[in-house]
Amino acid sequence: MKESRSDAAFSAVMTGIMIVFALIALIPLLNILSLSLSSKVAVEMNSVNLLPVGTTLDSWKFIAGNGDIWRSFAITLFSTAAGVVLAVILNALMAYPLSKTYFAPGKIIMMLVVGTMIFKAPIVPYFLTVRGYGLYNNVLVLIVPHILSAYNMAIMRTFFKQFPAEVEEAACIDGCGMFGTLMKIVLPSSKAVLATESLFYGLTIWNQFQHPMMFISKVELYPLQLKIRQLINAGGDLSSMVVRANVNYNETTLGAAAVVFAIIPIIAIYPWVQKYFAKGAMLGSVKG
Amino acid sequence: MTKKLVSMMLAVMLLAGLTVSFAAAEDYPDLEIWSNNNGYLAVEKGGALYNFYKELTGVGITQPYIEWNGGTTYQEQLNLRIAANEMPDMFIPVNGMETDLIRAGAILDLTDLLPEKAPHLYAAIPEAVWDVVKANDPTGQGRIYYIPGVLTFARSGGIIRQDWLDALNMEMPKTQEEFVEVLRAFRDKDPNGNGQADEIPTGGRAEARWMDYLFSMYGVASWEGYPQWDLYNGELTYSAVTPNMKEALAWIASLYAEGLLDPETLLNDKAAWDGKINSGRVGVYHHWAQASYEYAESIKDATGTEAKLVVIPPISAEGYEGGYTQLQVGSVQFVVTNTRDESKINAVMRVLDCYGNDEMREQFVLGVPGMHCTYDENGKGSRLPVDMQHQENMIFHPDETLASIESTTDSLNMIRSEDTAWAVDQSIENLSHMVEYGRPIAGDGVPNSIYSDYPDIQNRILYAQYASKIITGEYPIDKFDEFVEKWYASGGNAVTERAREWYRKVSE
Repeated sequence: MKESRSDAAFSAVMTGIMIVFALIALIPLLNILSLSLSSKVAVEMNSVNLLPVGTTLDSWKFIAGNGDIWRSFAITLFSTAAGVVLAVILNALMAYPLSKTYFAPGKIIMMLVVGTMIFKAPIVPYFLTVRGYGLYNNVLVLIVPHILSAYNMAIMRTFFKQFPAEVEEAACIDGCGMFGTLMKIVLPSSKAVLATESLFYGLTIWNQFQHPMMFISKVELYPLQLKIRQLINAGGDLSSMVVRANVNYNETTLGAAAVVFAIIPIIAIYPWVQKYFAKGAMLGSVKG
Repeated sequence: MTKKLVSMMLAVMLLAGLTVSFAAAEDYPDLEIWSNNNGYLAVEKGGALYNFYKELTGVGITQPYIEWNGGTTYQEQLNLRIAANEMPDMFIPVNGMETDLIRAGAILDLTDLLPEKAPHLYAAIPEAVWDVVKANDPTGQGRIYYIPGVLTFARSGGIIRQDWLDALNMEMPKTQEEFVEVLRAFRDKDPNGNGQADEIPTGGRAEARWMDYLFSMYGVASWEGYPQWDLYNGELTYSAVTPNMKEALAWIASLYAEGLLDPETLLNDKAAWDGKINSGRVGVYHHWAQASYEYAESIKDATGTEAKLVVIPPISAEGYEGGYTQLQVGSVQFVVTNTRDESKINAVMRVLDCYGNDEMREQFVLGVPGMHCTYDENGKGSRLPVDMQHQENMIFHPDETLASIESTTDSLNMIRSEDTAWAVDQSIENLSHMVEYGRPIAGDGVPNSIYSDYPDIQNRILYAQYASKIITGEYPIDKFDEFVEKWYASGGNAVTERAREWYRKVSE
């Protein structure tokens, strides 16, 4: 197939636009990175744009030497890892039977599942319920409420629906039970959906903010995002008469460093999962 | 006989046991108290600050870490706890949430308890302020349901770079004409001496805020950019809709047109505007007199210049009376959760009494030795630098919430050190004038409940829009009349009615 001249021009223009968009997306990131590497004075003067001014590593030394941040990091890392594993298992176990038309109660269950997407619980009853389960000030609250989302489960179900029935029948004839079919045949060939779901759940748990804010009041249990918030949180005009600390960082530079610190793992993982992610975005969009 | 004796002895012993346990009950129970926290550690049972409060007041006090976030997150958390029926024993309510709680009977009536059990606090707050608190009782019974903040001086004013005036051989301006001349000189004559025309004579922040000193020349009552209620033509009126405001806006627009106002005035947020001040480019700004040392230190860090920051004595425009708006009635400081538990009530009242006791103020302000402060060999305490990772959140700030010139000066002295004396002394000097510069207003303490059902008026949507556009010249000043009309039509009438009703009650 020969690419016509207008096609080439089109793709050149598109590439140009995409590069511009990418740069625009990069600017705030660069700004944050520069802030984290700038001196307090430069930041107070608002003179930091894309490049660090009065370059210093003091904010980073503070972050690296701060045990609380590493603890929060560990909490977030643990809850994300554990959450993703649990979520994938749970979703597969629920989505697989629901994808089978011969599973009689499937229709009703699916309606109930969709129901939770439409009718969300109001915040106070939700708070009281989750707290009633003993999850208040409990690390598990970072995991348990997140590991089965109706939307993600529906995606997985649709994926399983497209799975060639012949393969499953063959497994069945060879003596595989339902459970064996799922574990040995279906899941190993569903890496795309598993990776996508892992990414979805991983991001949700890694980035969660509202939940821990509601349910965790003990600073020792703070996940990373709350910890960062605590660092960034400046007093505004409620300035109290205090002695200014003689250090070369302030809330802004610390906050910037913490933000960069928190997105490094995500940025590091993204390229590896992205190929699945692109695939995953279309998962379940065509019913086969 | 012996049986009787034994039983009697037993009874006596029982009684004795009872009285002993009664005496033990005089030990106050611990209290959970919520207040704002800008990132310090929680106050935990058995911790340093807990023990400090326990020793000082006899009552152990705890406070979980609650994000403040401008009051938003704090309010969410508080609401969740209220919904779960686990209100803290005492807390700072935000955004007028106390009104509904008082109506629902969830807040303790302090009217009779205060004079009896917290006489220090009762006496520390002026009668006139208590009258406002009573008038603000949402049940209309005239009861005291909250502890108000008190401020006995004007907190903020126009602050000028005296060192720039000196460099240009100019006098402190006394009239509006002189003031404009000074601004022009700041713009044209390179007062910071860096050879660049980078000076910003004056300015403020978005929504026409933080340039109150310009408005004040026309007698416009205004608090950190929020128009206030005062008597205009003998009637309590929202200052934004008065002829004074019209004159003020017309004048400020002329300053803007002349390039005497920061061209970004109406876009600046706090960080942007502070950045300009801190980099030594701003000639006059509006802020707290007591906080001038912070800007002075930042300017020195950035430019090496020891700026001299002085509050401008209020200037009056011709035919008007200027002055920096003074609000004596501060925001709601504490409410107490309703309870029948006598020992809880006693503990709360004990804490409140200590909070209002001037002899304990210094200790409350200094905090825990070694954590928040140190004492020198003469026993003079001074604050340690901020260290949020290791300092627990101090709950009571009587120097700021029951503030007088004296208490604020004391606190400034606690942060004064050899290195910072030059800057802190400026603040102390500035502060000493703020009573004489102040202008009390009739609408002092008007409750936010007058705005209920009219959030747009409370949030100054219309005012900010018109004021900004008039200042930048997008609207001619005649548009101001249209604004007044719209304001009254969109709820201003009702709000004014309620404000005047409130004023009648207070004046009684």
